[in-house]
Amino acid sequence: MEVIELDGLQVRLGSRTVLDGLTGVLKGRAIGLLGPNGAGKSTLINTLLGFHDPSQGTARVFGLDTREHKAEIRGRVGYMPENDSFIGNMSGVRFVRYMAELAGLPAKPALERAHEALFYVGLGEVRYRSVNTYSLGMKQLVKLAQALVHGPKLLILDEPTNGLDPIARQRMIQLVREVRDDGEVRLLISSHLLRDIDETCDEVLILKNGKLAALCNLDEERSSNRSFLELETVGATERFTVGIRGLGCEVACFPGGRIKLVLPERVESRDLYVIAAEQGVQIRRMNRRRDSLEDIFLKAMDSDVGRPTDVYL
Amino acid sequence: MSIYKHSYRAYTGRLTPVWSRVFVLVRYGFSEIWSSKITIVLFTLSLLPSIFFLFGIYLANNPLARALVGAKNVGFTSIDAGYFLAMLQIHCWLALVLTSWIAPRLITFDLADNALPVMLSHPISRFGYVAGKFIALFSSLSAITWVPCLLLFCYQAYASPQGWTGNHLRLAAGLFAGALIWILFLSILGIALSSWVKWRMVATGIIIAAIFIPAGVGGVVSGVLRTKWGMLLNLPITMSLLWQRLLGAAPSSLGRRVDLPTSAIVFSLLLAAVGCVAMLNARIRAREMVRG
Amino acid sequence: MNDRIIFDDVSKFYGEVLGVNRITLSLPPGVTTLVGPNGSGKTTLMNLMTGLVQPSSGHISVLGVAPDNATEFFRTVGYCTQFDTFPRGLTGFQFVMDSLMLHGISAAQATKLAAQSLGRVNLGDAAGRRIAGYSKGMRQKIRLAQAIAHHPKVLILDEPLNGLDPMARAELLELFQELGRQGMHLLISSHILEEVDRISDRVVLITGGYLIAVGNIHQVRQEVREKPMQVIVRCQHPELLASKMFAIHHCVEARIHPDGKGVFLRTGDVDQFYSMLNDIAAEGAIKIDTVAPADDDANAIYQYLIGSDGSAS
Repeated sequence: MEVIELDGLQVRLGSRTVLDGLTGVLKGRAIGLLGPNGAGKSTLINTLLGFHDPSQGTARVFGLDTREHKAEIRGRVGYMPENDSFIGNMSGVRFVRYMAELAGLPAKPALERAHEALFYVGLGEVRYRSVNTYSLGMKQLVKLAQALVHGPKLLILDEPTNGLDPIARQRMIQLVREVRDDGEVRLLISSHLLRDIDETCDEVLILKNGKLAALCNLDEERSSNRSFLELETVGATERFTVGIRGLGCEVACFPGGRIKLVLPERVESRDLYVIAAEQGVQIRRMNRRRDSLEDIFLKAMDSDVGRPTDVYL
Repeated sequence: MSIYKHSYRAYTGRLTPVWSRVFVLVRYGFSEIWSSKITIVLFTLSLLPSIFFLFGIYLANNPLARALVGAKNVGFTSIDAGYFLAMLQIHCWLALVLTSWIAPRLITFDLADNALPVMLSHPISRFGYVAGKFIALFSSLSAITWVPCLLLFCYQAYASPQGWTGNHLRLAAGLFAGALIWILFLSILGIALSSWVKWRMVATGIIIAAIFIPAGVGGVVSGVLRTKWGMLLNLPITMSLLWQRLLGAAPSSLGRRVDLPTSAIVFSLLLAAVGCVAMLNARIRAREMVRG
Repeated sequence: MNDRIIFDDVSKFYGEVLGVNRITLSLPPGVTTLVGPNGSGKTTLMNLMTGLVQPSSGHISVLGVAPDNATEFFRTVGYCTQFDTFPRGLTGFQFVMDSLMLHGISAAQATKLAAQSLGRVNLGDAAGRRIAGYSKGMRQKIRLAQAIAHHPKVLILDEPLNGLDPMARAELLELFQELGRQGMHLLISSHILEEVDRISDRVVLITGGYLIAVGNIHQVRQEVREKPMQVIVRCQHPELLASKMFAIHHCVEARIHPDGKGVFLRTGDVDQFYSMLNDIAAEGAIKIDTVAPADDDANAIYQYLIGSDGSAS
């Protein structure tokens, strides 16, 4: 089922054309939205929410046009904005309940669902305190709770791990994955951290300068990258590299004993180990290259002069 | 099965109709307004005059009571247009005080922490948002303006001799219309000015200033240009004139000097209201526009 | 030693509230990562290092300069804060210029230096616009430009990559690495541990105002004795591999991965472990897919040493 359909979408803000000629169909369970600063990610999200009207073309969410069916779309969408966005002097429960009622829940179910949502994201007794006394992590969770409370079909998360310490970040990613795996909700996640997108999304939309730079399905890409390997070795790396080349692999050597290689058809990892054993080299790490997302992103950005060749997850 | 797993579940219950979301805003608006003790104090103060006017009506209609109190003069007070004009004016100016306290409470809390993007991402439009706040403010103001005034009119109608009511129905209509115009104007002004400023206390001051400063400016303009049109900026004067005419009361001395046509007064009010709507259009947005 | 940042039993209290307590550090040149939950004292530590606050007790010396010698001190240190506020009405260029001139540098020289540092962070073309109109990433970059403009010997960066897109992150990380190689002292605080992991020479862990660990990541990891090193091996028959490892006595724990295609192995002796693993792989009875240390990075150390107690809730 299509989540988002874009057809020649053009959005202008003032005299600037921020989005131009976006066309594509997004169907994934969790869609990643990537792009450099100023590429138009926030504008796209704002257009889907109906805050901006397209100047040309259309955008559809679940088949509903964003220009004509704003109320229906907003009723089915939960939005977690990047910046602080709440009513400070209300308690967490009251705020989430308020948002639930705005989304159409009658008063009593709104209160029940508010508590449910707060329990689900892990906000305990804090929910009775005013939101402006919350720490950053708690504010992010309250934003997520209000996005989930009315049971939306599409959850739009803008930089969900912004400012969170490593443990809170992991928890947030875990939460996002749980929501995705439950199957009832689709997600659209915009983030600057490739790793966050890689861990949660199965489809990716990359914008550059307001235009569509890439739209691809990550699952497919990942399964087709089986024969790329990355090794970390300790020992006589140079000779080892020569030995591997002898097997017919394409090899690239990096400082710190790191080696990237492509295994040809008939060669297996075992053969690498045999050569390593012969030369007294220890293979301490062997990874199938996970960086399909980096590749996709870099390709989409084109080669610019002076840009580093490795973008790490 | 003894272990309950609480995972995310979709909502499958009934949804309220889209138009009723405005009333969610109204409800929460009321709760915000009334959670403050000062609101209660101001509200009570605004209703106090009604008690005095009530007493006055009672005295005017009961010679016995008048004798008891010792006010033997016949010209004590006759309950006429002038009486109701005074009543209306006092109630309406107290409404201004209440507005300056209530209106910021409605808007500033939402804008302080940038809640609008999240709020507007729900099925409520900008117009619906403003409408909800407007209705909350308007209802609160109604309770201290035309409602007590009309109730006092009804009491007078009850207590007065036969025929008084028939002759003075215009007064009721005038009370209602006069109060209505004023609180409609105050509501839109209060909301617009509150949305423009970040701090509640400043908003309170600005709302009051917005009524009186143009008055001063108007006086200057009139004096310098030797025209009466400058007085259009003087709301206390223009509203007095308007109420006077609506109630059919005799014009005061000031009124005779500054004779502005009703249409001009109404037009200036409308113009100000349009200005307020423009202000709201600029400030109530889901996204901040930064120039430069 | 005049090439170190030295903290000697430093404490800082704000009234009754603890900032940091009894910190002793001696940081050589290079890149140091500062890691800890929000509210752990990181910002206090940075403020102490830049001379913005004075310690309640203890001594601080940055490259031989004490904080009381303000002019010399501020010339040596450059600080890029996490806080997103700027003087109003300035353009990017003016902001950097003003900071430079505050150091007593002449206007002509300041213009040159400002242009240089703006070029280094890639903000040349937007420098003429007002900061109020910048995107989040651009504001981050202008703060960084201001911090490096006067060529300080010590650079203190509080979450410098916040809000930047993947390419900008990679560029700046390379810049930091380069500066570290040139002999500068860099102290970088960040929550995205896998990024700073790649460029940092050492890590400082702090929580609740106390220092938890200082040193090279691998060193620190080895010293966490209660948790022997964990390695994950993905292969077709994990149970077979586990039994072989147990047989050779270099494995203290083996846990099959939930998907049945991998095994987590814990070992006390890393070197022997890998040699054994290599031999087993070369035998060929078990086909190895991937091998990776499961906890030899900053994220794992964070979990073990700081864990969930460290994060506020």
